[in-house]
Amino acid sequence: MRKELKEYNFDWMLWNAFASAARLKSGTEKEYQNTLKYIPYFKGVVEPIMECGEPGRKFLEMSAKYLENIVHAKERGFKTAVTTFCFSPAIFYAMDIIPVGLEVISVMMTFTYKRGTADFLDFCNEAGFTETSCSSQRGTIGAYLAGVGAEIDLIVTDSPGVCDTNANAFAFASAYLDKPFFQLDMPPDLTGERSDEYHREDYKALIKFLEEHTGKKLEPEKLKACLDELQKQDNIIAELEEMARIIPSPIPVVYNLFVYASRFLFAGMPECTLVLESMLKNASENAALKRPGLKSGREKIRAFFCYIDHYAQNLQLWQMLEREEISYCGNILSRLWAENVPHVKEYGKEEAAYSVDTASIDSMINTLAGINSRMPMIKSIRGPYDAPNMWLEDTLALAKMYSTDVIVYNGTPGCRNTWGMVKLLARDTEAAGYPTYIMYSDAFDERVQSWEATEERFLEFLKVRRII
Amino acid sequence: MNRFVEAVSTLENRYIKDWKSRGGRVVGYTCSYVPDEILHAAGLFPFRVRGFSAADTTIGDTYFGPFICSLPKCMLQLAGEGNFNFLDGIIITPGCDSMRRLDECWRKAGEDIEGIVPGFFFHFGVPHKFTDYTLKWFTEETKRLINALNSHFGADINNEQLSESIRLYNRTRVLLARFDSLRTRKDPPFTGIEALAVVLAGTALPKEIYNAMLEEYLAEMNDAPGIAGRSRIMLVGSANDDLELVRIIEGSGGLVAADNLCFGSRLYSDSVDENSEPVEALVTRYLSHNECPRMYGDYKNRLLSLKEKIESAAIDGVILQNIRFCDLHGSENGLFERDLEKEGIPCMRLEREYGPLVETGRMKMRIDAFLERLGRRVVAP
Repeated sequence: MRKELKEYNFDWMLWNAFASAARLKSGTEKEYQNTLKYIPYFKGVVEPIMECGEPGRKFLEMSAKYLENIVHAKERGFKTAVTTFCFSPAIFYAMDIIPVGLEVISVMMTFTYKRGTADFLDFCNEAGFTETSCSSQRGTIGAYLAGVGAEIDLIVTDSPGVCDTNANAFAFASAYLDKPFFQLDMPPDLTGERSDEYHREDYKALIKFLEEHTGKKLEPEKLKACLDELQKQDNIIAELEEMARIIPSPIPVVYNLFVYASRFLFAGMPECTLVLESMLKNASENAALKRPGLKSGREKIRAFFCYIDHYAQNLQLWQMLEREEISYCGNILSRLWAENVPHVKEYGKEEAAYSVDTASIDSMINTLAGINSRMPMIKSIRGPYDAPNMWLEDTLALAKMYSTDVIVYNGTPGCRNTWGMVKLLARDTEAAGYPTYIMYSDAFDERVQSWEATEERFLEFLKVRRII
Repeated sequence: MNRFVEAVSTLENRYIKDWKSRGGRVVGYTCSYVPDEILHAAGLFPFRVRGFSAADTTIGDTYFGPFICSLPKCMLQLAGEGNFNFLDGIIITPGCDSMRRLDECWRKAGEDIEGIVPGFFFHFGVPHKFTDYTLKWFTEETKRLINALNSHFGADINNEQLSESIRLYNRTRVLLARFDSLRTRKDPPFTGIEALAVVLAGTALPKEIYNAMLEEYLAEMNDAPGIAGRSRIMLVGSANDDLELVRIIEGSGGLVAADNLCFGSRLYSDSVDENSEPVEALVTRYLSHNECPRMYGDYKNRLLSLKEKIESAAIDGVILQNIRFCDLHGSENGLFERDLEKEGIPCMRLEREYGPLVETGRMKMRIDAFLERLGRRVVAP
């Protein structure tokens, strides 16, 4: 790893960048415009987010707060837990543990730096971790393995049974750093008494693990407060998703990213709610005025991403969508499975959804187990892709519901699980009438394929298939 | 030895043909976490599915994406070419992500190529950790498998039959433990190639015949002259059922005197308790088996077990191999390398492709260099 990267902790530097960005709009517009001149490399991230108005500013504030929590965890007396995007952090907040979500931090870095997370990705190889593993975890865990991040106390994941490369990254880090490790394991079936019991018992074991390693008991009142907040967030997300069905969509393209990032960072916390409320306000105004969320005011086509987004520097994916006037119908990450979201009601999928019940400590633990087992990816790619409630069913249902013109797959070469079945999925979605494009790039590592090449190939697909 | 080699050098060997000609049914399985005693108790021929002998992966590549381990691709290739048409059933587990997706890829290939999907097709969920509730799940899953086998094949698997199969399989384990003690001797009477052939044959022969062959072989080997003067290698990592990989190592003057492979010693390392209720005993043995990195968070125990094997077999160096895209073994190999080297045990990490050994030259060169490092290189005659 380059020597200069060891000068300062990477999370401290990232926090400073986001904290400064969040403050940029606190002065006058003239001051803001002048400041942009002095941050030529960071301007590309700040501008598209700030152009969203209040939601953008709040989003940057929230991101900065997340990083601040990590950087200052020790001096404020908190334990830290390395975890994954598909693990709901609500339980950590309820137990005064600071989550360190690897993938979201990798996204922050790939958005911000031209080099992305390359140095940390490569350090993983030096440490013995395979280069074929998923770049979303490697990008950040490499920094912690190299000892250039905040101190880590615990390692917790919930991807065993869903994604080997994800689970393996956490297991590796635990062995390498000699830190306590807990895995929530997922059975291949989502629903049914056996699976429910498994999820529940596993979650109870997790709480026991957290209590043991923090020396604190789970306080029901704190947990209830988190779940109440989470339910508030669910309601807002349900409203946003309902609005996304309108043609043209009143939802700005970047909102989808804001929705899932907010939930991954601060599920059950007011920081997330503030961003969502602000987004709902703007989207509702758009809807009332029949105004598309796209900046140009025109919606040419609607795209559904059946897996994840591409996180090339400066939010280039979203900039392309704006430029090409493509409304964004969401992806697997943004679809939550609360009982009140539109796709659950539309297709009568209540059995595959979770409900929030704060009546007792047991019902709250059941709720958390339900939420966690239905997190993005955890829900839909655990079993065979064509099994009930799994990837194909979800993709086709969402594509239909959001009047999608094209389905796009993007992931990372490390995603063994989806690469094992995406060709089959694409064949079925094509047969169902949805042109389906498979991106062969790496969402977190432009060295695999540059964004420019990725974009060119995608646009070529749209032209060849006469979609645009 | 020839009988062992013959049994593992063809997929549908003569024992399977004979079994089928007598109206017997064969059920394949893809992972060592399947309690194959159950298949035996159902009167079926349990057959561990391999990717051996695939000449290319054109069919595998049609259904799987590009970033997938070549072992399941080779399996699918063979299935697509009709080489597994002798199977009456198949059990696929989430051993790893690449392997679990063989489920869908095989089924979907069956929509394009007639007759390649066995009538019995079962997805067997195996948890990734050993606790009271995962054991409960696994017990229920095993009972679900038993019911499905009973229903599809008209079998009637009962405790008595299961106990009998457990005893038979435990006998195999005892014999293989004796085989291991010969293998780890200072001057073992057989090579690593022969050792792999003997162990592999257990996954492709009726157990009764296999045990008899094994007893005979052990009796012969007791007084056979030993092999000495070679660097003693332990082969660790991803699944390997390929005699040719071992031949490369031994062709360079090494002797694979021990392994930690799921087609090797991991198969027979623990016995099933014969005094407990049979299903309970089976699930406990299979799920508590933590030697595969799919059982997350158990690295320290695996390291300990590896060190014990290294010591008891007086190993000179360890080859930590993984098939490309096998992140579970690939990463754990990185940890093994760090921790074993720290203790002065020379290690070499080797990434490879499964199947046709198109990269023999590269591997041979690296293995030669490793053997040189061990300082006791003996040029093969």
